[in-house]
Amino acid sequence: MKTAMDRNTETKQRTVQLCSVRAGAGLYGIDTRAIREVLGNSVPQQVPLAPSHIAGVLTYRGEVLEAISLRTLLGLERRTGTRDRVLVLEDEASERFGLMVDEVGDVVSVAEDAMERNPVTLDALGEAIFDGVFRMKSDLMVRLNTQRVRPMELARSGLPETRASRAGAK
Amino acid sequence: MEDLTKEFVAESREGLERMELCLTELEQRHGDSNLIGEIFRVVHTIKGTTGFLGFGRLQTLAHAGESLLAALRDGRIAVSGELISGLLELRDGLQTILEIIETRGSEGERHDDDDRELIAWMKELEGGGRPNWGSRPATSQHGGDGHPASNRSGESSFGAQNDSQRNISTGDFDRTLRIEVEALDRMMNLVGDLVLTRNRMLQCQPGDGSYAEQVRRLNTVTAELRQSVMQARMQPVGHLFAKFPRMVRDLALQCGRKVRIEFEGQETALDKSLLEAVRDPLTHAVRNAVDHGIEPEDERVRAGKRAEGMVRLKAYSQNGWVVIEVTDDGAGISAERVLAKAVERGLVKAEAAETITEAEAQQLIFAPGFSTAKEVTSISGRGVGMDVVRTNVEQAGGRVEVESRAGLGTTLRLRVPLTLAIVPALVVECAGESFALPQASLVELVHVPATEAESAVERIGTTELYRLRDRLLPLVRLARVLELEDDAGSSTHISGSRCGVPTAADRCARGFYIVVLEPEGRRFGLMLDGLRPPEEIVVKPLPASLREIGIYAGTTVLGNGSLAMILDAAAIGDLAGLRAAAEGQLATAAGAMAADGQTTTAGAEAIAMENAMVIYEPSIRDSGDIAKRMAVPLSAVERIATVPLREVEDVDGRAMLQYDGDVIPLEDDGGVLGELRAARSTSATVLICTTRERRRVGVVVRRVVDVCPGELLLENTALCTSPLARVKERITAVHRDFAMRQQCAASGRRRVLEGVA
Repeated sequence: MKTAMDRNTETKQRTVQLCSVRAGAGLYGIDTRAIREVLGNSVPQQVPLAPSHIAGVLTYRGEVLEAISLRTLLGLERRTGTRDRVLVLEDEASERFGLMVDEVGDVVSVAEDAMERNPVTLDALGEAIFDGVFRMKSDLMVRLNTQRVRPMELARSGLPETRASRAGAK
Repeated sequence: MEDLTKEFVAESREGLERMELCLTELEQRHGDSNLIGEIFRVVHTIKGTTGFLGFGRLQTLAHAGESLLAALRDGRIAVSGELISGLLELRDGLQTILEIIETRGSEGERHDDDDRELIAWMKELEGGGRPNWGSRPATSQHGGDGHPASNRSGESSFGAQNDSQRNISTGDFDRTLRIEVEALDRMMNLVGDLVLTRNRMLQCQPGDGSYAEQVRRLNTVTAELRQSVMQARMQPVGHLFAKFPRMVRDLALQCGRKVRIEFEGQETALDKSLLEAVRDPLTHAVRNAVDHGIEPEDERVRAGKRAEGMVRLKAYSQNGWVVIEVTDDGAGISAERVLAKAVERGLVKAEAAETITEAEAQQLIFAPGFSTAKEVTSISGRGVGMDVVRTNVEQAGGRVEVESRAGLGTTLRLRVPLTLAIVPALVVECAGESFALPQASLVELVHVPATEAESAVERIGTTELYRLRDRLLPLVRLARVLELEDDAGSSTHISGSRCGVPTAADRCARGFYIVVLEPEGRRFGLMLDGLRPPEEIVVKPLPASLREIGIYAGTTVLGNGSLAMILDAAAIGDLAGLRAAAEGQLATAAGAMAADGQTTTAGAEAIAMENAMVIYEPSIRDSGDIAKRMAVPLSAVERIATVPLREVEDVDGRAMLQYDGDVIPLEDDGGVLGELRAARSTSATVLICTTRERRRVGVVVRRVVDVCPGELLLENTALCTSPLARVKERITAVHRDFAMRQQCAASGRRRVLEGVA
């Protein structure tokens, strides 16, 4: 009986709830514990001279938050015409920021064990912001590290800029 | 950290601040038993509470201090310089431990050893014997008398912080704010009212007549709530002054001078955030006054002054500003020395130096990289100085002025706004985006109509210039600074093909606005596409990662619900590569260019502007062909505002206006309001003026015609009912209430002129 309970708690610890989001063709998973709210029609105010991955600023409960564009971060073109969804993420220190994605899908429960490591061919930015990969029924879901996509963290690492300059060189 | 501990730290800190003040006062008034009692109570309370909370180290130290103070209270030992120094060290020791407790939640691993020396020292003091200085490391380097305070700025034996850091770090503790229960109750009542008003508004049916009334009510409640929250944030500047007696004492000992510090107007209230903002500049100013201002004792005696120098801190409110003055009775700023230094540092050309006036020379101390200290001391003289003071104060929306008389002393005046949280701002448009520009940074607003747009901008190389009253003004295109358009003028807006984004060509076709800014003494014009009505904006801090851009001072939500970035005038200047030096060259160029027409030199122009007049038409009904014109001295005009007619209220037959939290009576001799109402206009133009008695009065005008230099004609008052002025070679009647204003013009005031076209 005791062992059964142990096993029960063990499996509980090992499953994680991920909210699936899309950016371009890719499917990404975000830990639901980090999500504060999913905003519908929120268009961030653009900020001239800001780094390109910062899509702008938006107000949330009287606070002004930066909105990171997942598309730009991943090196994809900005979409025009359609409205993006904004997730408000929150870290342990209650610092909030927005993450703009194309679409927000279902919440899926996955076993942490099932996560596979990032492929070795991934570039430095991918290595930093992806935790690993889950094989879903039809495609792959990449788990985003919400800590690493915080605006301050991105600014500190300088990774988006190196990618942007590389893209520019091409 | 536990709440109890938090409270204890906050309380003890207040106590220690009080203790420091009492100690410096005790040095002046040796026998004051009240002061001794107060100090005793502080240490006693710390000892008592700390035992209860279980901070052993703090208790041991406080206990040692308490027994020393008990001896003092009972008259067993007398007050002496050494004793005061010892007690100040005790205070620092206690504070150091408190800081460790606050950051780590415990006293840390450091052992009693650290305090043993201090405790032993206090024992010796208590014994009444001359303490054995040898036991204290690294003393008697400066003072010669082995005064322990004389090595303060070096490595203090307590805590790892040095003196300057300690002084600044005191700000970290101010995370709590004491507020009267009554004030809190008032706020709660207002919030209750706010909720009620909201409920009633929710129940309002469309087309309901009471809706307008509810909106008005909401307006009042919001204004009152804002007022009371602001009031709660206000703190007396005395809080800020409290640390200076100790600092001046230590500095004076270090420099080997005698300096007395005086205070005035400690009760003047200032917003908490601003109090923080002026803390460093003020510390710097006081430091400067002691180190540079006050002369050595023998020099003072030779000059026939008291041996003891004096530094006075004075605070008072004036026209919505709080002024803090730091006055010393020292040698004053020597214009020659400043000039010589400026030439040596390459800040001023040798030829130019000959023509500079004394007042102008004194302003040079604010130039970056300027310091007149003969040698670098640990206190000052590292070349960073007054420019930092100025930058800090300007960042807080304030200004700095210096006034000095050789041999008599110097007064440094810091002028700061009452509050930072809500500021009046201009909403400007650029490449289809809105930005807010705080009005404090504004000097003037110029509209260039479409007909002149083509020819108005002149060029020297790639630099664009505008001829403003025959003076050349360097222009900066906001769109270019923000990289919203490239040099060719075509839009590079990030969202790409947005419609209606004006290009440079469009701008010429429609006319444009120039906002004249003067941050850090660098005057330039900012070119904009459009203007929206000014708003009072609530400043919200910038998200951390956007702070690095540097050009924004914050963000705000505009009246239409959209977000706008707040522009920082100084940063725009930096980004556009403006230098103050360039201004001087431009002035000369302007003189040369003006020579083809009028022979006004830039200097004469500046003097004429001091006497500038705002010319307006007081009534709609024209008497004859030419509309009647009147004038008000520009110095009396605070703002030319466009006021919605519905905001003009009728009280006992007098028109009143609520403006900036003030109730302003409106003068409407020409019956403009009635005419406007009859014509179903929505807004009126009002000159907000300040009378000699510093009252605000609004003058309703039909339209503002021009702003130009004028000359008051004083001698003919007997012949005419209203005073006259000669403006543009025409005699114009001057508004009677403001005719004398020019003599007492507040030169520090900034004016905003809206709609002067």
